Amino acid sequence: MTDIITSIIAGGVLLSVTILFVSIGEIYNERAGVINLGLEAIITLSAFVGLWVTFKTGNFFLGTLAAIVAGAGVGLIHSFTCVKMRVNQLIAGLLILSLANGLANFLNFTANQETVPIVTILPNIYIPFLSDIPVLGEILFQHNLFVYLAYFLAIVFGLILYKTSWGLKIRAVGENPEACDAAGINVNLIRHLCDIFSGAMAGLAGAFIALGDLGLFDSSMAGNRGWIAIVVVIFSRWSPFRAILGSMLFGIGFSIAANLIGAGIITSYWIYLINAMPYIVALVVIVLFRGTTKAPAALTVPYWRK
Amino acid sequence: MVKELEYKKIKTEKNFFFKYQNYLSYIIGLFLAIIVFSVTLLLLGYDPINALLSIPTGAFGRLDNISATLIRFIPLLLTALAFLIALKARFMNLGIEGQLYIGALLAYLVGARMEMVPSFIAIPLVIIVGFIGGVLWLAIPLIMKTKLGVNEIFSTVVMNFIAIIIISWLTVGPLKDPGSLLPRTPFLPESTWMPKIDPQYRLHVGIFLVVIIALILYIILNKTTIGYKIRAVGQNPRASEHGGVDVTRVVITAGLLSGGIAGLAGFMEVFGVHHYLFGGFSPGFGYIGIAVAALGMFHPIGVIFTAFFFAVLQIGGTYMQQSAGISIDIIFIMQAVLVLTVLIVQKWMTTRNSS
Repeated sequence: MTDIITSIIAGGVLLSVTILFVSIGEIYNERAGVINLGLEAIITLSAFVGLWVTFKTGNFFLGTLAAIVAGAGVGLIHSFTCVKMRVNQLIAGLLILSLANGLANFLNFTANQETVPIVTILPNIYIPFLSDIPVLGEILFQHNLFVYLAYFLAIVFGLILYKTSWGLKIRAVGENPEACDAAGINVNLIRHLCDIFSGAMAGLAGAFIALGDLGLFDSSMAGNRGWIAIVVVIFSRWSPFRAILGSMLFGIGFSIAANLIGAGIITSYWIYLINAMPYIVALVVIVLFRGTTKAPAALTVPYWRK
Repeated sequence: MVKELEYKKIKTEKNFFFKYQNYLSYIIGLFLAIIVFSVTLLLLGYDPINALLSIPTGAFGRLDNISATLIRFIPLLLTALAFLIALKARFMNLGIEGQLYIGALLAYLVGARMEMVPSFIAIPLVIIVGFIGGVLWLAIPLIMKTKLGVNEIFSTVVMNFIAIIIISWLTVGPLKDPGSLLPRTPFLPESTWMPKIDPQYRLHVGIFLVVIIALILYIILNKTTIGYKIRAVGQNPRASEHGGVDVTRVVITAGLLSGGIAGLAGFMEVFGVHHYLFGGFSPGFGYIGIAVAALGMFHPIGVIFTAFFFAVLQIGGTYMQQSAGISIDIIFIMQAVLVLTVLIVQKWMTTRNSS
């Protein structure tokens, strides 16, 4: 029994990494007043790009970099559409979703006519001493580089958001763009950068799935985790620190379903319904967190000088 | 000043078909979409001219293809209408995909028990049940929005995932056809199938129904009091509240229409095309419908044209994939580029004129 619980939680940590990467980026984006609904597909696209580049060059670093650039590129298209041209952010995000999904599947289809790209995934790093702790070690300290990176970045970007003047500017731009503009802050520049950053983080998440988790491409490999990340942003009340907790919650939720089905504990088809659990939790989160928290005041509202 | 602006807005809506900017944006959008299409294919070593020409061939080449195109037109038009009617009342219904599945499911559950019922009773009944199914699935986010103030964007998306899991579970488990290896239900009784227009082709009478629904929505939106209220709430909820409009009620009305129409889209696919229920019968119609609606400028008549255009692209694209070995995904890329460009150009022109 402890085996199952350990593997559920360890699997949860692994599944939470994607969510965490994406939600850090989206927190910055929403703090600056922009929401990108296309993240799910940006993960898929950059996962393919990362996989393919790694497959061709044999270099994980180049693959990861390519995935980040691909994500940032799609983020740039979104920011051009919504921040510069002021098209409705939600509709633009959904169009970006189908654009990036189409691109990912198209590239995969075309690549598969030659070869099917497969890479061996990054090896796990056993942190000395800490990984020897009986249960905790297996859960926390026996993962690959991406996992540690995710938690590290969550803390770093949390600190940047709350402790630096850059973070202050980002938060201010999402709350009161008029005042920021009057104070000489370039509102739309910050929004562009945050939108591109959120694309880049989704790209990193894609690189993790492709290079650190699966090692191959599947068009549904993002597994709705890009959408769940947007719910985690609400759950974490727009804080990268709390996003760690939120992504763990949903990661473990997904992991329970995967492990119970995988272990064959309950063989009846009823078990299938357990897949819905993370989404039901997501609904509860949306309902519970509606009043206790306030979204950035200028979220989804474009800014221009009147 | 405010009044003047609103007057201007209503006036431009009426002159939708006469504004040259709209046509210009479509021309630029199409141009860019074709450029993206051709350059991508050229880079990968395909012949773009042949690929482009295979789209109309695939969509209209033979009567079979025309029938397939018109069948694809049905769910695209319905999902676009479902999205735009809710949007008019400022309700972002991103849950059309889920409502479509649950509408189909509920209609299936009723339809499967209708072996003895004659068609002229069974078919109208399952249509209504399909509508109700979509309504029920939207009711949860709708109540959450109007009673608790929960943002509908996330709740509707999450409801999609739950709906898809329920359908997959049912078609793997309780509703599975024991005689089939695939995860799908048994066939519906033939008395509940949507009647075909010509027995040789798959096209069914739903095609007339959806166009009528579009016209009815146009009339509701533009010629009735409730339509006027929906548009008023959409343009300025607070002002309409002061003007004595029950905003909650208007949002609920528009929302229920939206969910019901989404449910009908699922009904049409299952009762008109497949005649049984299975997990992936919608290739994301709910999301494509949003692009169709945006391209049609959220106009109930405009989306008839854009839904047809998307259907042509998709059926033509399927043919292109089979004949030239080019992935149909290039069509989805093209569609997204087209709609994004049209939205950008239109926004650019309106802001340029007003400032």
